[in-house]
Amino acid sequence: MLQKIIFILLVVTTISGNAQDKTNLGFFTDRDVYVSGEILLAKIYSPTDNPSRIVYIDLVNSSGTRISGATIEIKNNEASGFLQLPDSLSTGTYLLRAYSKNTVSKLKIIREIWISNRFDGLKNTKQLKHIAGSQTIQEESTPQIKFEGVDASHPTNSNVTTTIKIDEMLLKEIDGNLLISVAQTNPSFESASYIWTSDQGKEGLTEKKGIILSGIVTDKKKSMPAAGATVYLTIPDSLPVFQYYQTQDDGRFYFQLDKYYGSVQAFVQCFGKTTAQRLKINMDELFAEPGNLPDFSQQPISDEFKSNNATNIDAVTFQKVFSQDKLKFQPSPKETFESYPYYGKPSNIVDPHLFIDLPNFTEISRELLPGVKFRNYNNEPTMQVMNAAARDYFNESPLILIDGIPIRNLNVIKDMGTQDIKRIEICQSERYYGNLRFPGVVAIYTTKSDYSRIPDSDQFIRLKLDAIQAQANLAEPEKSEPDIPDLRQTFYWNPSVEPQEMLSAKFSTSSILGKFKLVVRGRLKNGTMVLAEKQFEVK
Amino acid sequence: MLFLAWSFTQIVCAQEPINPNWDAQKIKGVRQFPYPPYEGTPFLTDTWRPGKIEFTTGEVADSVYLKYSSFKDEVVYYNKAAGAQINIDKESLNGFAFADTDGRNRLFRKQRFDNSSKGERYFEILSDGQTALLAYRKVELNVTSAYHDLNGILKNMAYNRLYQFYFYSPEKGYTSVRVSQSGLLSKFDSPLQRPIKKLIRKSKIKIDSEDSFIQAWKIVEKAGYQVVF
Repeated sequence: MLQKIIFILLVVTTISGNAQDKTNLGFFTDRDVYVSGEILLAKIYSPTDNPSRIVYIDLVNSSGTRISGATIEIKNNEASGFLQLPDSLSTGTYLLRAYSKNTVSKLKIIREIWISNRFDGLKNTKQLKHIAGSQTIQEESTPQIKFEGVDASHPTNSNVTTTIKIDEMLLKEIDGNLLISVAQTNPSFESASYIWTSDQGKEGLTEKKGIILSGIVTDKKKSMPAAGATVYLTIPDSLPVFQYYQTQDDGRFYFQLDKYYGSVQAFVQCFGKTTAQRLKINMDELFAEPGNLPDFSQQPISDEFKSNNATNIDAVTFQKVFSQDKLKFQPSPKETFESYPYYGKPSNIVDPHLFIDLPNFTEISRELLPGVKFRNYNNEPTMQVMNAAARDYFNESPLILIDGIPIRNLNVIKDMGTQDIKRIEICQSERYYGNLRFPGVVAIYTTKSDYSRIPDSDQFIRLKLDAIQAQANLAEPEKSEPDIPDLRQTFYWNPSVEPQEMLSAKFSTSSILGKFKLVVRGRLKNGTMVLAEKQFEVK
Repeated sequence: MLFLAWSFTQIVCAQEPINPNWDAQKIKGVRQFPYPPYEGTPFLTDTWRPGKIEFTTGEVADSVYLKYSSFKDEVVYYNKAAGAQINIDKESLNGFAFADTDGRNRLFRKQRFDNSSKGERYFEILSDGQTALLAYRKVELNVTSAYHDLNGILKNMAYNRLYQFYFYSPEKGYTSVRVSQSGLLSKFDSPLQRPIKKLIRKSKIKIDSEDSFIQAWKIVEKAGYQVVF
């Protein structure tokens, strides 16, 4: 009996000991060595207990400056995306960081990569920097994944079909999708992923549905957070998207962007309780602070590394010259958007340019806009809209929009003539949007649609947001122009392969010579990251 | 359909404490002007009822106090912050649900109706399935014989309930039905009417109200009988 108990205890201890070693996360890129101006492909295995829908990846140089980043959607605890490496990057080791805002202070996954400047190469570089003494995410090499069809060497520009056989036992243990990649490998600079927990920083909200934009409104007179201010977020579109937030004592505001993909233009405005209140908006950084960095060790640069680097710089320059795209973008998922603007279905739509030429808005309102009273006595313009249900004018100024952006300063529109206006929409009713009341609405859409008429101030911020990254696949090599050499360094990249006993991957080698690696990566249900790889040479 | 799966036991849910702004801001509408006061009521319920609304975007706002205007086929909610009764834009909703005073959970779905007076209508879902039993809770303002209201003012109009019931199938459309045994039987092929009648009798259901009609229909539907549209 005692023996049995000891045996059970031993088994339990072994299992729990193993469980602590399992990382449950991973961060992989198509290669470890890049040239500035290239696109990097990434796959992240996010912690299975993280409810966030968003993972950020960003690029930080070895002195701690954040350079660029991307916002990637997590689906089934996995995310895949890309990062454009700026052309101006100087040669050296860089860190890629992956994190979700809600766990940013506790956990980041970092991966070191090498980037050579396309113009300078290794001219001023004598040593390679490598992360030293950090917690590496261990990957278990598995013999249960076997490859067929990949030889020790393949000729340039040849087609290869590989069959990947996964053992039935392993198949049952795999959690989620596999990553299969075939790309150039550089034995002089082989990277790994690390868990980085030593950063200090403030944790953000859990982005369960989408990106959360946040910031603070301060009262300029009191230099204190402004309570009770109303903050508007407008995303101009065919139907402008609008959100608002009424600040509490801490002056903070939050907006959720869950339906936007790619680059988005947005406008954030704040208005006080009274027009006399002078406010200032400050937006929080979308990406985490660079924080402190791991230690690096130095290594001499090998001749092989130098030679590969020179070839890659030529290849990338050639691809740039011939505009060879690495990625093929997929259409963004179609979300159900509203069928009419947030300010309501207009009761009247007027196209002023169809009528006689009128020099200013006073004339336009008088001649063309039924139920809109615009007066400009003593250079103090006022506007009122008819309340159709009450058959009287509202006493207050209506909601006035220029190209979807709310304005309160009527001087902005007083000089607008028929040539400046494409369309005016009018709502002659007391509209509500949540707790906001609009005593009538006048929405002016300008011919230029460039938002240049809206005056800049501390209460108005124009943003160019990187919303959720659009999905993209690795582009196939261009076969229509056989005279242009194919200089791809990544032959195959599929981050979402459903595990099956037999898988097939077809790729073609390019004109680049050197060592390449076919890698299959996955996560097991117990959190272990597994990989199987096969190296071959393109001759 | 998700809407149907709501748990009405939690009809008044607590909003997320972090940000009441997010839920409240979703509701779009226009201030409701009082209806002219006549005998009868333009609303389905006399009091504000706690309920939920589902937007066309699929989002749900709960903890909303609602009234359904049968007269105008509109949902009205009370915005406490604005101190106003607001007609929620019909274009923005898929449907709504509320808990009635008797504890009944009442579910309404916006559907296109292309028979008479075409357009979008809110139908109460009395029974849902392959063939749904719907009620259009219509109220009309009709001329009546003259009467004095509570203030002694002479009036000659009143709100009258003219509820209409339909069987609905997404493929076959609508067919109206009277709330009676003969009305129910008339919706089936003649040879089937006798066994259906027998089934209802065996189930000891006497169709004399809306509730007993729903009960009878559910039994008939369960037995596999198909309504003829």
